[in-house]
Amino acid sequence: MRFRHALAVTALLTLGACATRPDASDPDAVAEFEQNNDPLEPANRVSYAVHDAIDQAVFEPAARGYRYVVPEPVRLSIRNVLANLRTPVILLNDVLQGESERARVTLGRFMVNSTLGIAGILDVSENWGMPGHYEDFGQTLAVWGLGEGPFLFIPILGPSNPRDLVGTAVDFASDPLTYFGQGAVVDALALTRTGLTVLDIREGLIATITPVREGSLDPYATFRSGYRQRRNAAIRNQEPQRGVGQNTGSGAGRGLGFTVPLR
Amino acid sequence: MTTLRRSFLLGAASLGLCTVTGTAFAQVDPAQATAFIEAAGRDLVAQLNSTSGTAAQRRERVAAVLRRAIDIEGTGRFILGRYWRQASEAEQRQYLQLFDEIIIRNLSARFGEYQGVRFVVGRTQQRSEEDVLVTTQVDRPNSASFALDWRVAEVGGQPKVVDVIAEGTSMRLTTRSEYSSVIQRNGGQVGALLVAMRQQIAQLAAREGR
Repeated sequence: MRFRHALAVTALLTLGACATRPDASDPDAVAEFEQNNDPLEPANRVSYAVHDAIDQAVFEPAARGYRYVVPEPVRLSIRNVLANLRTPVILLNDVLQGESERARVTLGRFMVNSTLGIAGILDVSENWGMPGHYEDFGQTLAVWGLGEGPFLFIPILGPSNPRDLVGTAVDFASDPLTYFGQGAVVDALALTRTGLTVLDIREGLIATITPVREGSLDPYATFRSGYRQRRNAAIRNQEPQRGVGQNTGSGAGRGLGFTVPLR
Repeated sequence: MTTLRRSFLLGAASLGLCTVTGTAFAQVDPAQATAFIEAAGRDLVAQLNSTSGTAAQRRERVAAVLRRAIDIEGTGRFILGRYWRQASEAEQRQYLQLFDEIIIRNLSARFGEYQGVRFVVGRTQQRSEEDVLVTTQVDRPNSASFALDWRVAEVGGQPKVVDVIAEGTSMRLTTRSEYSSVIQRNGGQVGALLVAMRQQIAQLAAREGR
């Protein structure tokens, strides 16, 4: 009931609220307004509050429970399997971006990890010096030259923009597993995959979100800036070199995914 | 491809990456920058892992390492951006003091989490005329390691850290966004930011005490 109320408030505010553009006589303020690229800020802030409430009530406790109950090696195996299942989408976007070398890596990893890695449980390729990477259709659109559009904060999905929203929909539609088989078993497996993906991503974000929530003077502004910077780094394929088990390309770390250490 | 690169350059320029922060940077030698990060990292890890002395003494030792390594004034001015010029002299002074304390408190409030930390310096690249990016990998027991990149420039004849970049996210850009948002939402008053910073320091101090 409270949730529905919140949704109604969001809808109402989305209809009416726009951030006011600063007066043209103040070029610094105009530059900042354009740089923030957040004309829907008032509505986005309401969405953020809704998102944050849902996250603290449902997703964060679930992720902490997952971390507490499932030992780390098992969580890592789950992450590897999920990343392996994502191969078709990553491969498609490597190809669409004209990145033949990265496409070869994605395909090679899939063949090695699906067989020697026992259905993707072990990331054998990583140990062979072939770390994974993540791609999605939002990044492909950016490589094709499409702008991001105004910043959007979507409850549950997190920070986004029109380009990345379209990208997410296309990613879902272009995943062959979306269309694979039918019946109760397939449905149950698909549901398990979705559930585990949510847990895996949120668990991977605990170290990112908690410090911002506790330490930022304005978490919304921090997430907005961080999301944009991180997406731009991903679009330029500037993946940081991380430790073992961190280069799976599972997509963990998307959404709110950026680390703000020392904060 | 060129249009893409150009739009990134434009984007970077508009984000202020290309704005000089007011201090003139001299060119820094990559090998020197690497050695500097290695030494600063070693000092920091030694202090983080030491258990001798009271919490306050340890904080002071960490603070000394950080103040030697970080260009706190340049970074602080960059982060305040256009509001630096709007701030009164007294506000500028207070702001830098609070900024310095926040950097140090943020780390010292998390001492426990950084117990047993190690870090390995990776490759170094020249990023621009003035600065060099040193990549490091931070390992903590029982948690996934992560990459931290340090932007090093020469300030007043010494190499200093001017930015920390984690997974493509620059600390000074993120904090700039945060601080300017606080000022904007409080009618453009720099004083409001100083109040918020003081509250944050009080909270960090309380957390350290618990």
